[in-house]
Amino acid sequence: MPLALALSPFLVLGFGALLIMLAEAFGSRRGGMALGSTIVLFATGLTAAGLWMYGLENLKGLEAVAPWLLLDRFTLFFQMLLCLGSALAALTAGGYLPEHELDRGEFYALLLFATFGAMMVSASGDLLTLFLGLETMSLGAYAMTAFRKASPRATEGALKYFLLGSFAAAILLYGFALLYGATGHTDLAGISKVLRAGAVKDPMVVTSLVLILVGLVFKVSAVPFHAWTPDAYEGAPTPATTYMAVVVKAGAFAMMLRILLTAFGDAQSMSWSAGWPPVLAGIAVLTMTVANLVAGRQESVKRMLAYSSIAHAGYLLVGVVATMRAPQQAGASVLFYLLGYTVSTAGAFAALVLCGSRGRETVSYEDLAGIGRRHPAVALPLAFFALSLAGIPPTVGFFAKWFVFRAAVESGFYVLTIVAFLNSVLGAYYYIRVLVYMYMREPAVGAPVAVPMRSGYVVAAVILSAVMVIVLGVAPSDTLDVAVAAALSPG
Amino acid sequence: MVTLGTVYFYICAALALGGALAAVSARNPIRGAMGLLVLILAMAGLFLALHAQFLAAIQLIVYAGAIVVLFLFVIMLLGPSATSQRDLRGLYPRVFSGVLFVLAALATMVLVVRGAKYVVLPGTPRAFGSIDSFGKDLFNSGLVPFELSAALLMVAVLGAVAVAKGKQGESKALPAEPVEPQEKH
Repeated sequence: MPLALALSPFLVLGFGALLIMLAEAFGSRRGGMALGSTIVLFATGLTAAGLWMYGLENLKGLEAVAPWLLLDRFTLFFQMLLCLGSALAALTAGGYLPEHELDRGEFYALLLFATFGAMMVSASGDLLTLFLGLETMSLGAYAMTAFRKASPRATEGALKYFLLGSFAAAILLYGFALLYGATGHTDLAGISKVLRAGAVKDPMVVTSLVLILVGLVFKVSAVPFHAWTPDAYEGAPTPATTYMAVVVKAGAFAMMLRILLTAFGDAQSMSWSAGWPPVLAGIAVLTMTVANLVAGRQESVKRMLAYSSIAHAGYLLVGVVATMRAPQQAGASVLFYLLGYTVSTAGAFAALVLCGSRGRETVSYEDLAGIGRRHPAVALPLAFFALSLAGIPPTVGFFAKWFVFRAAVESGFYVLTIVAFLNSVLGAYYYIRVLVYMYMREPAVGAPVAVPMRSGYVVAAVILSAVMVIVLGVAPSDTLDVAVAAALSPG
Repeated sequence: MVTLGTVYFYICAALALGGALAAVSARNPIRGAMGLLVLILAMAGLFLALHAQFLAAIQLIVYAGAIVVLFLFVIMLLGPSATSQRDLRGLYPRVFSGVLFVLAALATMVLVVRGAKYVVLPGTPRAFGSIDSFGKDLFNSGLVPFELSAALLMVAVLGAVAVAKGKQGESKALPAEPVEPQEKH
């Protein structure tokens, strides 16, 4: 029984997803799907929150599912985070799909099952369940990207995402196979034990680490494995873009932290001279710089947000690198950043959805021109979330960056922090550009003009994200304490 | 030392490689499907050499028996239109990146094989690979991933339905309306 209690987030989400699927198949009314999915996701998140308060140490028998699933505070934190991001995507879908005549219930079932996969990823302590969860999450994301079948652009983006994603999964699997061959274990703790005993220097282990890093970096869409991101983000229906930007990214970072800190958490793997930190630091610098430079040149707001999500992966990688010297603090800063990024990005996409309506979807900067004067109520949230993504106080974006940079500085990564700081200044350019277009430009004569849509669901998503952005931006310390308690310690 | 086992392994491996190459490079889709069949049979042979009889049988029944036959049905239904025109666009980049990838993979293999310490993996019990022991493992120690894989299959089915159903009830987006010319004040 205690085991069922500890597994309850999985059970609630799994049964909820089945219910939603059956309701779609046999129900006659279409309307409540978004609401139902949101309720299921919030119920799951609240179950995880309840477990957090009750304390997992009071539950016995959790080792029955170990090492397949590790039920710890790290898992619970990610369960809450993933459910929040997914619920915001479901709310956005509740307005977006009917408006754009894509209202098919499979979307919600896919969303819920893919979130289940992401929760599996964050809980896994074994390479097998890790891969199962990753594929569940990715397959759902591929299908959601291809959801708008009539659009060639969506099909192109989905195909690119699917092919490159499968390729990256194959490379990751190759790395897993070599790691198993070198250590004889698939569970992360067992691998770590063998590596500590001296297998770290084995070329097979080094090769497997490189291959695994390639797979992980692809999933978080960092440069140079980011080529699919703008196309997939632009082609997908916006709620699916929200899901990819928020849930898939969080799941991939959970996987990265689990593998790097648990399996490769020994002294040598975490050293600057012979481990993964310098590789990730290089990728972080490359990711931030390239993404911010390219984002400034985009004409489509969705593509700009895609590059922005790549740039944020770069800042997050800075935090991951800093776990080398300050695992608790830097790990917590990564978790907090993920939370801030989730609410800001999901809010920005929801606000973008709100700005457009059928046939008049806002895609480019030109579409947004002058909307601040014509429709101030929908322009304000978008401006607000853009400011949060840029990291301007009092929004959560500021504190998220602040904590990551502080962790990096206190671990002695001065150069890396300076590069990250300069990059966030550079990044402010294209977020402010959204505001300039909305408030200081008028649409060109004869150009199509965006008309905002009306939807209670999307408004709810915007309000929920906005409240969280403000609350976390004004009083971040309680949530940071939660993140500190959830952070993984190496080994 | 050359044993019969090594010879068997190399025969199966060569067949698998040849089949895979044929599946990728054949212009006639029927030949491609046949190449896939050879690959699957050779893989089943490799599984057999690892004492995984059950896996080999499943490989034959599911892949060779069901999936390749399904492919053949689809190809025959499509008829001559299944054969694609030769596409020479981007030939050099394609060949170049292919060669580069093969070289990188070979370099990885050489690096791994040269430096590898051979770890003795836990030995296989006597009944390893039989249906009996496979089932026992699956429903005892491997129960959690077995149950979790249900989610993966569900997502795959749902995704296929969602992508296949897409065309119905979806109309072209309306053309956007132009903005009215603004009056000068």
